[in-house]
Amino acid sequence: MTDFKEFADVCKKIEHTAGSLDMTDIVSEMLHSVSSEELPVVVHFVMGDVFPAWSTEQLGVGPSLLYTALSRSSGLSQKEIENLVRNTGDIGETAIAALKKETRNQATFSSFMDDTPSLSIMEVFERFNNISRTTGKGSQTTKIKNLQYLFNSATPEEARYLARLAIEDLRIGVGEGIVRDAISKAFEVPVGDIERSFMLTNDLGLVAIAAKEGGLEAVSKLGMELNRPIKMMLAQVTPSIETAINDLGVVAVEWKFDGARVQIHKDGDNINIFSRRLENVTGSLPDIVEAVKENVKADSAIIEGEAVAVDEHGNPRAFQDILKRFRRKYDVETTVREIPLILNLFDILYLNGEVLIDTPLTDRRTVLVDCVENTSRIKVDIQVLTDDPEKVNEIYSEALAAGHEGVMLKNPNASYSPGKRGKNWLKKKPLMETLDLVVIGAEWGYGRRANLIGSYALACFDPDAGTFLPIGKVATGFSDEQLAELTELLSDQIVVESGREIELKPEVVFEVAFEEIQKSTNYKSGYALRFPRLVNVREDKSPEEAETLERIESIYLAQRT
Amino acid sequence: MFKATIDAYLLKDSIETLSVLVDEARFRISPEGIAVRAVDPANVAMVSFDLATDAFEDFSGDDCELGLDLSRVTDILAVADRDDKVHMELDEDAKKLMIQIGGFSYTLSLLDPSTIRAEPRIPQLELPAEIVLNGKDLQKAVKAAEKISDHMLLGVEGENFFMEAEGDTDRVKLTMSRDQLIDIKANDTRSLFSLDYLSDIIKPASKSNEVTLHLGKDFPIKINFSIANGAGTIGYLLAPRIESD
Repeated sequence: MTDFKEFADVCKKIEHTAGSLDMTDIVSEMLHSVSSEELPVVVHFVMGDVFPAWSTEQLGVGPSLLYTALSRSSGLSQKEIENLVRNTGDIGETAIAALKKETRNQATFSSFMDDTPSLSIMEVFERFNNISRTTGKGSQTTKIKNLQYLFNSATPEEARYLARLAIEDLRIGVGEGIVRDAISKAFEVPVGDIERSFMLTNDLGLVAIAAKEGGLEAVSKLGMELNRPIKMMLAQVTPSIETAINDLGVVAVEWKFDGARVQIHKDGDNINIFSRRLENVTGSLPDIVEAVKENVKADSAIIEGEAVAVDEHGNPRAFQDILKRFRRKYDVETTVREIPLILNLFDILYLNGEVLIDTPLTDRRTVLVDCVENTSRIKVDIQVLTDDPEKVNEIYSEALAAGHEGVMLKNPNASYSPGKRGKNWLKKKPLMETLDLVVIGAEWGYGRRANLIGSYALACFDPDAGTFLPIGKVATGFSDEQLAELTELLSDQIVVESGREIELKPEVVFEVAFEEIQKSTNYKSGYALRFPRLVNVREDKSPEEAETLERIESIYLAQRT
Repeated sequence: MFKATIDAYLLKDSIETLSVLVDEARFRISPEGIAVRAVDPANVAMVSFDLATDAFEDFSGDDCELGLDLSRVTDILAVADRDDKVHMELDEDAKKLMIQIGGFSYTLSLLDPSTIRAEPRIPQLELPAEIVLNGKDLQKAVKAAEKISDHMLLGVEGENFFMEAEGDTDRVKLTMSRDQLIDIKANDTRSLFSLDYLSDIIKPASKSNEVTLHLGKDFPIKINFSIANGAGTIGYLLAPRIESD
């Protein structure tokens, strides 16, 4: 049994390490030293997660619950805890300060035993599991008591990382990239194989176990599994249709529908639908479930498509309407009637036990066409193979005229690369680009907007470190209703509040338009936005899907040429 | 095998002594009766519960362990009148407890005992002071303290037992001499306790007219009382808050 103290020591060491190579070494050493049982837990903990991303398990600990637990353990009042948060600006430092004070600290029975076992990593995980599982009346108390137990069993140094883990924000700069490399290093499996298995399983804990126990062979055996979502293959923006044809030669052209991407797992009559964020949205989409049951002729399959909301004339409706469908949990039937969805299928990854992702696109397409009966609700849309830019332009104009986003240009021979934004899928959309950025902070407004959050601090994503780097603020483009909605939405995410300034848990993604990206020393990303304005709240995107620093750099360079 | 009949109010009282600390419990059945040892999720309070066969109208049981969701049992008992008889019978194969109360018959699914927190180790403590008093007096003091603070000092000074609470601005103290108590073994002691816990524990204890407290200096408190004319014994142990100097 590894002590939680060892994990805390490693976190501390990483926090004081600058280079990602050195960080990878430290993580890899730890992964190497823990037992098989502990390995998946440590893999998730070190990224600040408790459960794998695809899992439906949720910890459900917000800042206020955490403050109550700290207050109970330390004997300080809730108010004193909130003051500490304000002064230290960090929940981990708050935990240390509160528990060090020893003012009326709550003792546990461990203090009255001759031998007290120290807190182990597995015990922490077990307690988090209890917290996640408890529901119903009195569940808040049970959650608080489990946290209280952890804080009272921990040394102040351990408490720093316990507190941060409890709100799933470890702040040591370790993300998927570093953990992937660390697994590769610890168990001597090539990083590309680790990456691929991760994209297929969505669970680095699972990949780590395979690497430890069976090396490369076990890792490459890991594959997709029905009912566990696979990271979706993504498309790059192409500057022009001509460039795309120059790069790819013959391209497979499809409409890029203005809708929401879905991945559908059919397992007999059991249908599961996952969103772009890989959340299970099956409950909100009974009409799609029915359509798939009736018209997809397969015992088991994983298919992908775009769900489009249409009006009475069959024209696409605003993106917000689709989100209404995806988010709806209660009285689903009414929204099904109000906002009907049409499903346009474009890919198949698995059919009746056979994995198809390594099959070329055109062959996958044939399989897909063969197993779907097209109707008005569900269909495999037209795909054209051509290397004639004029032909593509024609399709592009038709798609735009029909109210959709543009076209997809795909390499007909390419396999499906889960989680990759590669050159094999390109998209062509009109208009200036927008950026998807994460809201990490905000400020209360002035005057008429004093009770509303008025200005939002934005950040891009650094996938290696798993951190968010500030890039600017946006305060225009909001309607009053939108501000009220956002204020309510973001109130739950407040981590620290001091005066008008608010620090937020990175959770919400904004689509932001801008005139130009500039170099700047004001923001940690090294860039700033000129004239940013809000276009949309991207509730379908997770913070990790925000623009990467790399992409910001490339746009910056592109606008210079 | 387990089969028993008991007064509804007695079973209600028994379940309440446990449900103030935990949501789920392992009930150890033996030919002698039922025993539960449980600790709250924060490891701050524990309960030892023993109900001998005398408390039952009829009882037969072999050694076994039942896992129960206490709130489900409380819900079922809510339909019962005070004087109703509750008949319980274990269906071992189906892992269910059949319960009959005043015409209703329930089938209650059992929890796998291994999924419930293991029985706690009980610390061996030497607690020099012992106070015996009416449960109502204890409850009054706790209620007065709740108005002022979230913690409460219990102790013995000279020959007197005292309970004291201090808030940001106000203070309340109740002193009870030997005459006002049922009994006292006086030794100077004092320990501070969280009222969150104390209030919960006092609820079932207040129904007893003889509650025994064992106290030390910055040590856990033992709160013992009996139910069912002595056929049931309940013992709580509550860890203190440590006072700063």
